[in-house]
Amino acid sequence: MLKWYDEKGEFTDVVISSRVRLARNLKKYPFSTRLSKEGAASLVEEVNNKLGDGAGEDGKLLACRLDAMDEFERTAMVERHVLSPLIAEKKQAAGLLISENEAVCVLVNEADHLRIQGLSGGMNIKKAFARAEQVDNMAGKAMEFAYDEKYGYLTSCPTNVGTGMRASYMMFLPALGAAGKINRLADEVGKYGAALRGMYGEGTEGTANIYQISNQKTLGSSEEDIIENLNNIALQVIFQERKRREYVLMNNFDVIEDQIYRSYGVLKYTRQIGTKDAMTLLAQIKLGFDAGILKSEEPVNIFHMMMDVQPFNLQCRLGKNAGSRKRDKARAAYLNQSLPRLV
Amino acid sequence: MLCDKCHKREAKVYYTEIVNGEKKEQYLCEECAAQYTSFQIEKTGVDSGLGSLLSNILSSYYGEKKNVPEKTEKVLACPTCGITYEEMLNAGKFGCADCYRSFGGIIDKTLRQIQGADTHVGKAPAGFCTGGKEQKKKPEETLPDRIDKLSFQLQQAVEQEEFEEAARLRDEIRDLKKEAARNA
Repeated sequence: MLKWYDEKGEFTDVVISSRVRLARNLKKYPFSTRLSKEGAASLVEEVNNKLGDGAGEDGKLLACRLDAMDEFERTAMVERHVLSPLIAEKKQAAGLLISENEAVCVLVNEADHLRIQGLSGGMNIKKAFARAEQVDNMAGKAMEFAYDEKYGYLTSCPTNVGTGMRASYMMFLPALGAAGKINRLADEVGKYGAALRGMYGEGTEGTANIYQISNQKTLGSSEEDIIENLNNIALQVIFQERKRREYVLMNNFDVIEDQIYRSYGVLKYTRQIGTKDAMTLLAQIKLGFDAGILKSEEPVNIFHMMMDVQPFNLQCRLGKNAGSRKRDKARAAYLNQSLPRLV
Repeated sequence: MLCDKCHKREAKVYYTEIVNGEKKEQYLCEECAAQYTSFQIEKTGVDSGLGSLLSNILSSYYGEKKNVPEKTEKVLACPTCGITYEEMLNAGKFGCADCYRSFGGIIDKTLRQIQGADTHVGKAPAGFCTGGKEQKKKPEETLPDRIDKLSFQLQQAVEQEEFEEAARLRDEIRDLKKEAARNA
């Protein structure tokens, strides 16, 4: 089964992935701030029993025990955007159910009892929503959700109440970033009810010019309207980014072409490299492929490589005692090997 | 210059603290400043740090009358989970599903402020249960409900300066009102 991040999507030069998250709570348990240790354990067990092995279009939902994983493995999953930082640090029992293609997952006992996530490659939020909704429907039949006729799906934090839906696009904005337009863009999308954040969410800088754009409000608009509104904003951002890229390439083609080939050269032959440098250079290479400057006959998935070079992902592959020096070497070796061959 | 606290982000706030006559100077980033000091920096995102943001919103609403009904505020607690209004305010989070009803009217205003609406539109779980045990279908929308909803949308459209949409809504409301008058 194809993993979601290997799927073909639309507008992949700007939109890396689409994600929909639905926040749900079970009626019979108090919300997470008031949930006892025993309550948390029984919540996780109940959800695992009801949803575990449930089969859908994305394959079976497999239940993982988060408390059985160590800190490294959990942080690595945060880096891959499967877990949220909040659940990775949770002291109480917490669970994860994930489909075989990794396109749907359910976090159990995060800020809300269930956080159902659907993902898809490129700009395809409808697919991501359909994936999340399938699990939502399955869960809604098996368990009773906290739902109110007036307020909709009840969530522990009032910023999620209503649809409980947060739809977001992961966007690659190198040209707007280089032009220093991100802050203005963030202000602008804010006016239309969307938020722009760094790659790893709130408070993180836009690593390698990758940003998340998502709806701010969850109450008062239907799921379809939220998606439509976000799409309109995203299309504007795509348009602006493409226009800017075109402009930059037209005026400085030689400089940019050189930068891109240099980045490729460095990553192909580097012997040790830190995360930040690797990310910056990978972003250049991604731009190179998107703009048609670099070409390869092999499949190219730079974003996937960006996940793989994150420190805890490397750490998990290397074993626990590898220090940062050893990681930097392993990162270099991985990049030397994995860069697609140019034609 | 990097922040003196986290040594990661750019320092943007110069913070002087005088404790017991001793002066302490620090250069902090916005995040650390907000966390460690009484500084309040306006944030655009609503998702995190909501505790303080929400309590600001709530207390500004209650601020006006704070002097008088302080006692009633303390008594206000959710009968199901026991969380008090004050605790909810500090955490920015509810304790259980019933809190929404327990804190009723206060919540509506807050929701309108942070969400721009106080009523859910959209998906409901298949055959969800209300209060009682019996399965209940979503009731048919009555005419006055529909008019209320449209009026709210109209107000939103006007605020967002979507005048074409507003005109459409205005006409629809007028038609519905006529229909209601005929039915009556």
